[in-house]
Amino acid sequence: MKKILFYPIIIVLAAISTILIISLIIPPKDIPIYSDDKLREFALNKGLKPVPSSFEQLLKLLDNDPSNNMTLEKIALGEELFFDVNLSKNRKTSCATCHSFDRDLKNSGALVKMLTKEGSSVTDCAACHLQDQSGVDRFTFAQGDGGKMHPHLLNTQTILNASLAKYFTWSGEVDSVRKQSENSFLAHHKMNMRAEELEERLRENPKYAEMFGQVFKDGISLQNGAKAIEVYAKTLLTRGDYDRFLEGDNNAMTKEAKRGLANFISIGCKGCHNGMSLGGQSIQRFPLRGFAQFFEMKPNIEISPEIKIVERAFPFENSGGYLGKNNEHLFRVPILRNVTKTSPYFHNGAVAKIREAVNIMAKHQIGRNLTPTQIDEIVAFLRALEGEIVDYKKEQR
Amino acid sequence: MRRVFVKITIFMMFLSGIFMHELFDISWENFRVVQPLHIICSILIMFFFLNSFIYRHIRRYFFIKKINSVEGWLLLLAFVLVVFSGLYLFFVGNRGGDMFGTISFNIHLFGSLVLAALFLWHIIKAKRQNAQPLALLVVILFSYPSVSYSKITELSLLEIEKKTGVYHSEDWTSSAKCKSCHSEIFEQWSNSNHKHMAGSNPYYMVMETLAGEVEGQEFRKWCMSCHNPSALSLGHPKTTHAMDGNFISNEHFEKGAKTLLNDFKEHGNFRVEEGVSCITCHQITEAKSKGNASFTLSLEREKYLFEDSKSDLGRWFSEKLINANPKVHKESYSKELYKESRYCASCHDEFHPQNGIKIVSTFEEWEKSPFNNPKDKTKHKNCIDCHMTYMKDDKFAPLRGTSTEGGVIKDDVKVHYFAGSNHFLAGLRDKEHEEQTLQLLRTSAKLDVAIKDGVLEVGVKNVGAGHHLPTGVADFRELWLEVEVKDKDGRVVFSSGKLGNDGNIEEGSRLFQKVFGDENSKPVGLLFWRYKTLLSDTRIPAGERRVEKFELDKEALYPLQASVKLNFRIYPQWVTDAVRKVFPVLLDPNVIELTSVQKEFK
Repeated sequence: MKKILFYPIIIVLAAISTILIISLIIPPKDIPIYSDDKLREFALNKGLKPVPSSFEQLLKLLDNDPSNNMTLEKIALGEELFFDVNLSKNRKTSCATCHSFDRDLKNSGALVKMLTKEGSSVTDCAACHLQDQSGVDRFTFAQGDGGKMHPHLLNTQTILNASLAKYFTWSGEVDSVRKQSENSFLAHHKMNMRAEELEERLRENPKYAEMFGQVFKDGISLQNGAKAIEVYAKTLLTRGDYDRFLEGDNNAMTKEAKRGLANFISIGCKGCHNGMSLGGQSIQRFPLRGFAQFFEMKPNIEISPEIKIVERAFPFENSGGYLGKNNEHLFRVPILRNVTKTSPYFHNGAVAKIREAVNIMAKHQIGRNLTPTQIDEIVAFLRALEGEIVDYKKEQR
Repeated sequence: MRRVFVKITIFMMFLSGIFMHELFDISWENFRVVQPLHIICSILIMFFFLNSFIYRHIRRYFFIKKINSVEGWLLLLAFVLVVFSGLYLFFVGNRGGDMFGTISFNIHLFGSLVLAALFLWHIIKAKRQNAQPLALLVVILFSYPSVSYSKITELSLLEIEKKTGVYHSEDWTSSAKCKSCHSEIFEQWSNSNHKHMAGSNPYYMVMETLAGEVEGQEFRKWCMSCHNPSALSLGHPKTTHAMDGNFISNEHFEKGAKTLLNDFKEHGNFRVEEGVSCITCHQITEAKSKGNASFTLSLEREKYLFEDSKSDLGRWFSEKLINANPKVHKESYSKELYKESRYCASCHDEFHPQNGIKIVSTFEEWEKSPFNNPKDKTKHKNCIDCHMTYMKDDKFAPLRGTSTEGGVIKDDVKVHYFAGSNHFLAGLRDKEHEEQTLQLLRTSAKLDVAIKDGVLEVGVKNVGAGHHLPTGVADFRELWLEVEVKDKDGRVVFSSGKLGNDGNIEEGSRLFQKVFGDENSKPVGLLFWRYKTLLSDTRIPAGERRVEKFELDKEALYPLQASVKLNFRIYPQWVTDAVRKVFPVLLDPNVIELTSVQKEFK
């Protein structure tokens, strides 16, 4: 009896002491500290790029489709279409209803106007969130014309910077904004139109006849409308602290955000969230690690290990039952620019806070448990990705 | 071999117990490790060795060898006492509410000394013993796990442009955690206006967003420094609200902070609690009393082992550690400063951060009032003497009870209803809160009426408030006289202060209010921070009387029946109307009658 008790306890105590001593003796892993210029060089070498600040550069970057070249008239037409609620069944929904931002890019006083104007009709989230200039509706799941819910309860993705991507929508099965705008016009849970119906609506407005005539040889059609919207969407890019930092302004980003950028690259987030848009360039599996387990155990020195039973396809509740492309957990890598303005997160908006989203991504895509400091630094970096919509029109005036 | 092991454990248990005594004053980092070490050693000895050892020892010497030893029996008695007092301390604790806790603590402390003395005596008498190896002790003492997340920084919110410290969400212990021991206080706070002054408050959310839009997003920090210090300190750019599917969550109507409790269950401290939480007020270390959140808040506090544990068992264990020896816990969450008015002043005075113009001066008003009378203690009344004292039957009735479950019975438990004037929002959640606030409001003023030369004179005296009436955001508070005079035949010959069809008070009514104007002397409306010129100030200072005169019709037939009411409404209709444009489910605040007089004049 005495031996049975004595040795295990001695062994356990010895093991605990050894582990603790080892953790004291081994120096913490050195994470390289970059100087600002080194960090910039590092980021640029890894393919991160700032968004162009002038219209000329924008054309150089995005006017690369001979079948749909960018002209000022076409951009203006696209803008008209983007904000026109008449192009939906109940005449209540425009593209900008879900991909919401203030058409006045200077973004002055939408809420004041609404609060003080008699009989103003906006009474929903847009009242406060229009000033975010986020390009999303801030809903958990998308609702189209007539309040129709998305069949898979998918969350709206932002239109801002979307043109920098190679793949579109959550599954990444759509290859252009043009295609997706056609889909959106026709989808019963979005604008709920038929092609002929849409063209009829476009003909109602004499302004469109003139504008379409100017821009396209074959005049009004669904395809041409989608082309104009695609071109307009190409001008919806944002620039923020991060872009200024990449262009050489060392003071544009805070220290914390710079460490976040270094972490972002070295930890491996950049592997998928790459390019100018930091995402949208590939389709990847999610979750990659640690999802099909029966339980989840955190490696923590605690009085008892934390064990959670996980019997679901995602590290959060999958309301809507969406499983990605071909039901294989394949998703387009989301664009991280402005991500802090577009909560809630993931395809069904199940995760409310950016910190939680970063934690899930690190754990399930990279297989790392980040420390609170690392998470906060990455979040600070993501905040530096917030930006204002660039007013490319200003140069034209 | 086993005997060596028993000795090591006994030695460690004893040493760790001794080190916990105040006399040694060991550093907190060591204390929090020594404490559970003491418990673990005790359990090991109790269950695995000592009982069987004692039993066999007695059997061997007393029953078989027939050796009787008085100090041996005394040793057993002391041992039993120490064991039971130790069990009591662990499972029930020394919370101050019952005598047993104190008795157990003393028995455990002095009993163990007696035990040690008797033990030595017993051994020396019997035979010599070997020395104990210290190695194991040294290893464990020096390699304690560190469970603190924060870096040492001082957090001052006075200059809001300054980047605040580098705390993480994990450092902002959720109020949900306090509930298990302070459930009553938690209930009071959870329905109070202090809990609901950030994301769940529709009026605040509209105003913060408006301020951000009009003055630039950075300006939100000014609002957040008092309304949402946790989010501000973590560098969040704005206050957020909870969602329920595609709708704003109805957290504001929710009793007992359900959303917060769920969040804590689901995410622990990983998701930060926004707004004014328990530790926002209870971790303030210094108050400069200048207003605009001029307090110093430090999250560097002394935590017991496993206090931050994510598992229920860990948390349970840490609660036991606190209960057994709550001194450090009490000291780190409560300070003498908290009883003083200057503590409240750090948020209940408010000035424009750039031009310094005073917007809210509740503390300054109190300082000049007769309530601030440090020379005569009987007349001196601090903020908490009115706003955190229980009320019953329209009178202050200090609540006898405990602030901790099983804690010391106090004659005046400071209740956390935070009754002020906002009966409306707190009343949406809990009737008790509404009742407390209304009772407090009714103590504030007295009315008197007279008619002189055909002029109706109404006197309103501020008898109960230690500050102006109304105070706070006095431009958004409506305190006014509703007057009706009827003649001999019961016809209304004079009336003032009625509500119009749109819910606004009719023009020409007598309001006790501060009216802000901008630099062009136009009313500021919702944008109260644009205040540059004072258009009017008809508020009633503490202890003073204000007379309002109403000209009556000279031909009115006497006797006249005058009926005067002093009415109060927390938000003007036009403010509620504006907020409702964003929150369509918002109700209208009701009009409260603070006091009234009916009088006949012949």
